[in-house]
Amino acid sequence: MVSHRNNQNLRHILFVDDEPDFLRMVQDVLGPLCAGHWQLHCAGSADAALEQLKRQRMDLAVVDTNMPVLDGLQLLNLLGKRYPELKKVSLTGFVSEDQRSACLAAGAELFIEKPRSTEEFRAVFAMLDDLMSWVPQQGFQGMLRRVGLQDVIQMECLGRNSSVLEVYNEHVLGRIYIEEGSIIHAAGGDLVGERALQRLLALPGGSFELVPFEPPPERTIVGPWEFLLMEAARVRDENAAQAATGQPEVDPKTLAAPTVPTVQVTETLICTGMGHTLYESGCADVQNRVMLLKNIARQATQLGAIALLGNFDRLELQAAEGRAIAQARPDRLVFVAVTSTRSPGA
Amino acid sequence: MNTTAKNWLTERASPPGTLACGLRSPDGEVFCRSIEEICPEPTMQKLLGQFDGMRATIFADPLAPRWCTWAFDQGQIRFVPRTDGWLLGLVIRAESDAQPRLDPLSTEFLGLDLGA
Repeated sequence: MVSHRNNQNLRHILFVDDEPDFLRMVQDVLGPLCAGHWQLHCAGSADAALEQLKRQRMDLAVVDTNMPVLDGLQLLNLLGKRYPELKKVSLTGFVSEDQRSACLAAGAELFIEKPRSTEEFRAVFAMLDDLMSWVPQQGFQGMLRRVGLQDVIQMECLGRNSSVLEVYNEHVLGRIYIEEGSIIHAAGGDLVGERALQRLLALPGGSFELVPFEPPPERTIVGPWEFLLMEAARVRDENAAQAATGQPEVDPKTLAAPTVPTVQVTETLICTGMGHTLYESGCADVQNRVMLLKNIARQATQLGAIALLGNFDRLELQAAEGRAIAQARPDRLVFVAVTSTRSPGA
Repeated sequence: MNTTAKNWLTERASPPGTLACGLRSPDGEVFCRSIEEICPEPTMQKLLGQFDGMRATIFADPLAPRWCTWAFDQGQIRFVPRTDGWLLGLVIRAESDAQPRLDPLSTEFLGLDLGA
């Protein structure tokens, strides 16, 4: 609950959402709940939010994930870079595991469903209030994740077990093969052997799963597991030390030029359901794109009639260096493409 | 159908939350598995048949998609075509544990050695 804070401790909370009705509810419902403790600020777009942040130091930004042009995920990334001390929460009208992972990876402390009723607003208020009282523990989460993966390997080796540890995130799928307590093979991305093991253990986030042992396609690792884990830890710590001094981490894949991922919106098209352009940016052939969106609408109808999975929401396209999302609704056609590339670090 | 492909589909391509999965070989042979009766094998077969319409439109786009996912309120349909003509189709329940497994499975399918 909100404790007795004086005006000097007034917290500034910024809500970012392109729905004016939602922002109105924020003021109407949260306003009385947080009176005297929080100062609420509202922004109808990412641009407006960035402008407000220039003028006023905020304690917390609550960002809608689905906004046109610069979406919530991109805004979270941007805020993380520009305002590392700012706490961030993402709100969404459609909860999905992919989106949750992406938002948490982008630095959101909480990922919560958008409140629509007074009761739901109260619940969100309680969550945000609790969040405001958290004492920052830098690196704790990342450290725990890393130790978790390493601990599992250690337990498997100490128990002289045989298993395969599958490690994955949005970019990499890797496997670590353990046979009777010895690490015998690792593969991840286009690497195998010790390099792959080091890279997998240095991943900043992701998931892992222990599955029954199956013989690996080859044996690429020999040597005591204790040494292998220590060596992996050393490489990881070197990377962390470099990051702490402001230098970008060495890419464990190449151990060469440090790179940082960049995401860029390359194309945006928003049309009426009839195909009349409302907003366009970077779209080389609008008519062609509109035709594609109409095709998508037609194919979604056909797929929906076969699979009976409810209303069509969106089509996601994954390319080698980017992705696109297309929405085709009776009143709106939307296409957004982003590229994700790795460029030399700052 | 290629035994490796069948085994892979049976053993790997149905994490919890999967409703059905299916493969189509380059010669048009189809192998489907229904995990939950809401999506029986004939439905999966029909879904794989719908892919041909996408090849000429969505997959011909300059963006060069590796795979596509149709998201509906209650589930998602993933199509993963390979350049050698193999096609993977997956139908999963919305917000299920299968969702984060879709990308790793798709990557795995693209790298699978299915012979000539």
